[in-house]
Amino acid sequence: MLCERCKKNNATVFYRESINGKERSLSLCEECADKARKNGELETDLLNDGFFSEPLGGVDKLFGSLFGFPQLVGHKSAPEKKCSLCGATFRDLMSEGKAGCPECYRTFSDELSSTISRIHGTTSHTGGAPSRFKADRDLKDKIKSLEKGIKAAVDEENYEEAARLRDELRAIRAEKGDETK
Amino acid sequence: MKWYENTGRDHDVIVSSRVRLARNLVDYPFGNRLDDTSKKEIIAKVKDALCDGKKYTFRDFASLSETERIAAAEEHTVSPEFARGTGPRALIESADGSSFVMVLEEDHVRIQTITPGFSLDEAFDKAREIDQKLDSKLNIAYDEKLGYLTHCPTNLGTGMRASVMMFLPGTARSGSVRNLSNQLGKIGLTIRGMAGEGSSADGCLFQISNQVTLGVSEEETIAKLTKITERLIEQERALRKKMFEQDPDALTDRVMRAYGTMLYAALIDTEELFRLYSDVRLGVSLGVIDCVTAEQLDRILIGCMPAVLMRDNENVRDARSRDKARAETVRRLLSGPEGKN
Repeated sequence: MLCERCKKNNATVFYRESINGKERSLSLCEECADKARKNGELETDLLNDGFFSEPLGGVDKLFGSLFGFPQLVGHKSAPEKKCSLCGATFRDLMSEGKAGCPECYRTFSDELSSTISRIHGTTSHTGGAPSRFKADRDLKDKIKSLEKGIKAAVDEENYEEAARLRDELRAIRAEKGDETK
Repeated sequence: MKWYENTGRDHDVIVSSRVRLARNLVDYPFGNRLDDTSKKEIIAKVKDALCDGKKYTFRDFASLSETERIAAAEEHTVSPEFARGTGPRALIESADGSSFVMVLEEDHVRIQTITPGFSLDEAFDKAREIDQKLDSKLNIAYDEKLGYLTHCPTNLGTGMRASVMMFLPGTARSGSVRNLSNQLGKIGLTIRGMAGEGSSADGCLFQISNQVTLGVSEEETIAKLTKITERLIEQERALRKKMFEQDPDALTDRVMRAYGTMLYAALIDTEELFRLYSDVRLGVSLGVIDCVTAEQLDRILIGCMPAVLMRDNENVRDARSRDKARAETVRRLLSGPEGKN
């Protein structure tokens, strides 16, 4: 889910307030949430006085777990998204620290990307694949290695080699209809 | 033939090499979201995919006694979690005793291979063979961006954990394990004592494995672990030599006393066994003692684990009878074909 302010970063801060029955909710990235906190838009202090209902306390305790994201400052307002295969919600994943089924990774790809990146330092696989994905995988690895090679050649000011690799890369992309760009 | 009944490269430092691959079937949930019917379906599918000849044998792991299950974990053929788990699960073993497929461990399928000495490439090749066989018959859960999809996100990507079990008395006694642990952590590797974190009864056995599985290919992971292991082997050998040269008499005394205890003690508990194993194995590598081999000692260590002893000796009923059986087993294995006693 994208931040509703900047529409660039993933939303990792979900906020809801209810004052005299009037509700307001926000889904923001860390940066925009910081700005909102500074100009007093987000009453983060409310967290500590039991104003919010129980689920917040429940989820908040799980911050030490693997799925320590997203950071909640209020409780999530949108109707909970459920995985079509196993029925798990993102809240379930957070409390269990594990995915409910293979499909969960697609269903909650936005929500999980920062956690995966935190664990592995990347969100992009290199290496083996089942046979039904193998050809595509090999091509992607080849493109990745060419890109690395181009960067290394440019760093070494070996522009001739960089141009050769770039041509090779272009040829592969043209052949593939540019879909792996 | 079990992995610990064979010898391998650099056996003075490397006890065994292991590779495990985590795989899951599409269309089935993970862990506690699976009902018994789905579990049985998964077991049947994996069995059909692998057990089509004599190469792999199938065992209903849930039907084994607790002693048999724990003994399998002590032999490093299944994980402790798998041994202690509940509900339907199965173990498929290769005829050569090197490959084990746990069905319904944390993931639907965990392929595990274990080979003696420093043999990561061999362990990986064996694991890949099973992986390809599974892949040719089943739809394995995979995402183009995230790689193999696993129950726990820490295994995403290759789903591979490669490890070497190292015997490091020199490194451990020089007090540099903590430092080593920090260094390895920085390059995506991890070190654990065999008997768990912070345990003293570890016989100077440490497992070094990769931590990161996403963004690094299987080959890169193996190459990195191999390179670091080679460096650690050299370092360990140098530290052993230094330790010996500092006080040859004291070290010889410790080795021979440990060997004497192995030969003549009537009761040996697990903790003492680890200590004896470590002292004598060190003595063998330094040439202090030549009437026993490292392979023999590995066989003694595994053969004298609590549940293995209980499984293999019907007289074992309690801790005392187990310590007695342990002392007898140590003596028997020392006087085996390789021993000179």
